[in-house]
Amino acid sequence: MKIVAVTACPTGIAHTYMAAARLEKTAKDMGHEIKVETQGALGIENPLSDQDIRQAQVAIFAVDISVEGRERFKGMKVIEVPLQEAIKNAQGIFEKLKG
Amino acid sequence: MMEQLRHLRQHLLTGVSYVIPFVACGGILIGLSIGIGSRYGMPITSNGPDFSHLPILKLIFDIGSAAFALMLSVLAGYISYSIAGRPGLVPGFIGGYLSGQVKAGFLGAILVGLVAGYIVELIKKLPVPSFIRPIMPILVIPILSSAAIGIIMLKVLGTPIAALMVAATSFLKNMSTGNSVLLALLLGGMIAFDMGGPINKTAFFFGLAMIQEGNFRIMGACAAAICTPPLGLGLATLFRRKLWNEEEQEAGLASLTMGMMGITEGAIPFAAADPLRVIPCIIVGSMVASVIAMLGGVGDRAPHGGPIVLAFGAVNNVLAYVVAILAGTVVTALCITAAKSFSAPKALAATEGR
Repeated sequence: MKIVAVTACPTGIAHTYMAAARLEKTAKDMGHEIKVETQGALGIENPLSDQDIRQAQVAIFAVDISVEGRERFKGMKVIEVPLQEAIKNAQGIFEKLKG
Repeated sequence: MMEQLRHLRQHLLTGVSYVIPFVACGGILIGLSIGIGSRYGMPITSNGPDFSHLPILKLIFDIGSAAFALMLSVLAGYISYSIAGRPGLVPGFIGGYLSGQVKAGFLGAILVGLVAGYIVELIKKLPVPSFIRPIMPILVIPILSSAAIGIIMLKVLGTPIAALMVAATSFLKNMSTGNSVLLALLLGGMIAFDMGGPINKTAFFFGLAMIQEGNFRIMGACAAAICTPPLGLGLATLFRRKLWNEEEQEAGLASLTMGMMGITEGAIPFAAADPLRVIPCIIVGSMVASVIAMLGGVGDRAPHGGPIVLAFGAVNNVLAYVVAILAGTVVTALCITAAKSFSAPKALAATEGR
């Protein structure tokens, strides 16, 4: 499955990137294709292009704060979870996608 | 209901995430200027530090003060932005600025940011004829929402919140003439409880006010308590490493850095993940730190905390200050380690079971 994801936490210096790394690794292990945008203290990195978003079947928001540029995902299936969920139990999130 | 609360927290944390760099920049520049100034025997008057013979330090101080002055606007502005998107910025910034003007402080800024965001959301939903639609975002929404928020802040919410802040400050002031250990316990608890939120800032700004009255011990107790939540949690990730996953260990290092710089907010991601275990532990640690600092007669002339103020030379009784920070940090780390060992969080248990 093609997936896009956004991670963001309040301080944006560690957990944001941890969650991104965990999502990428887990997706790869489970045979999904994923691109993760991080919205940390440095701003948006690895930004999702319109094409990325159009091609994906689902978006995962693993965030403790609001997602910037939320309107980009309009009309798309979005799963929103607390950031910690992505760090502790990324597999569970991907399993939820099937259901 | 839970979903609503989660969104509310998300909006607050969004505001906080934008305000943290302002707090760090302002706190460290002001602390640096006052710390170095005090080595040159600079007096601190009721109008703040007297930089009349130290123009370069005054420059640094003024830049830091500008960062502090913008803090409330940025906080309220981005809370409102989180709720309502771009049109939320104008009423949020104005509301935050007014919160400072009427002395409603951090709490006022948070409330006004929320109100501003929801007002904008309401205005967005108004049915308007199509020829007005293009000017909604640049004209109608900013003016209507700002007018509403200005009236709310200046005429409705501002005065009672300001009165609440005055009452809190005078309560703390009354306590400072009584039992200093009780006061230190209270200040430590306040500093840790919301990690940079309105309760933390009430204690902090009380310490700042006391500096201007020539009492540096209140800030001394606060300064020790400020850094122990991120330091203690960071240390805990080094303690019993298998309680934490690889990524959390990495985050622990970032948390230690934030602690060294005196940024309590560094503890927020840990607390957001596991509030019921983390918050009581950091409260206990900060209380230990503030009480030791108070009993050790630590004075801090700079309105900033953590080990970094030592580098500024703003602290007298350095030994007691270091002991207070170390003790608070170790207690925090021990508490959270015990809490996690005896009752593993659900998600963690699930991962291990697989």
